[in-house]
Amino acid sequence: MERLDLFRALAAQRSDEIVVTTMTATLQWPLVSTHPLDFDFLAFGMGHASDFGLGLALARPERKVIVLKGDGGLLMSLGSMVTMGRHGPPNLLVLLLENRGYEMTGGQAFSTKVDFVALARGAGIDKVEQIEELATVEAELPRLLDEPGPHFVVLPVTNSEPLPPVRHTDHTLRVTNLRRALGVG
Amino acid sequence: MSASATRTVSVLKGLGFTDAVSIPDGESRCLYQALVEDSDIEVYLPTREGEGIAIAAGLWVGGRRPVVVLQNTGLMEAGDALRGCGIGPSIPLLLLVGWRGYPGAMAGTFPVDSAYTYTEPLLEAWGLPHRTLMNNDDLGVIEEMAAVAGATSRPAAVVYGHPFSP
Repeated sequence: MERLDLFRALAAQRSDEIVVTTMTATLQWPLVSTHPLDFDFLAFGMGHASDFGLGLALARPERKVIVLKGDGGLLMSLGSMVTMGRHGPPNLLVLLLENRGYEMTGGQAFSTKVDFVALARGAGIDKVEQIEELATVEAELPRLLDEPGPHFVVLPVTNSEPLPPVRHTDHTLRVTNLRRALGVG
Repeated sequence: MSASATRTVSVLKGLGFTDAVSIPDGESRCLYQALVEDSDIEVYLPTREGEGIAIAAGLWVGGRRPVVVLQNTGLMEAGDALRGCGIGPSIPLLLLVGWRGYPGAMAGTFPVDSAYTYTEPLLEAWGLPHRTLMNNDDLGVIEEMAAVAGATSRPAAVVYGHPFSP
């Protein structure tokens, strides 16, 4: 499925969930969403977007936390899945954008043998699934947004659209804005 | 000569810490156990220290007050996470850092553990305020460094030189 179509589908059904995005895999998210609970994790720590999302979800059990991350980023912190398997709360939803390469640095491919569904299940995450088609995503999103998790969903994606430029906005301001939107501090 | 784990947990609770993210090591084994046995502080066990710092950052952004317990070797591993999830975004994390190699270095054991050698220069390079905790008489440095972290909006460290006693 085309990544931008996936983002449009998610943005259309998302309401008051926090959405954590990171790196090139999610550069197009701001094209479809300008929600105050969007959080850009770009340059906050390579591979750690879902760890940050896990902490957020633990801190805010009343609110779903959605993490959009790429498979290359996941490979930088595979142990995160084990931690999610043990400590992941019901309000955490990780959407893994699978394109089998390091998109930010030119699309260098990594092993085609990696099975992310098997890795997630082997790490102890109970609710793991792979969704191939956009129509299925649209049909399953209401369940994923409502059903207790944690969920780990593998979404094979392609991209034929131009990417927006990387924008390194102020890190402190990003944190301040999210805390303000959450009513913290 | 070392600090008491149960007294350290009492200090942390008194300061309002709600969560501990910790990978146990030789120095913090007793502290980890004391944290787990205390029902007022939630304890999370990541697989690596960079992961732990990112989890703690998420907890803090969400309104909790976490402390991160890690060995100096783990602090070295966690450099990118500390930069990106602590120093860069002005998140006032309190780090309790085990100073592996300190007792041996003080005893004149050769070779000196390079983890000992690089700990203070590394903290200095990152500009992290830090104080040492060697025994119960030093427990006040936890409050001091927590206050410094809050006042400066950046991480601060308490470096403990000996394994915690129960």
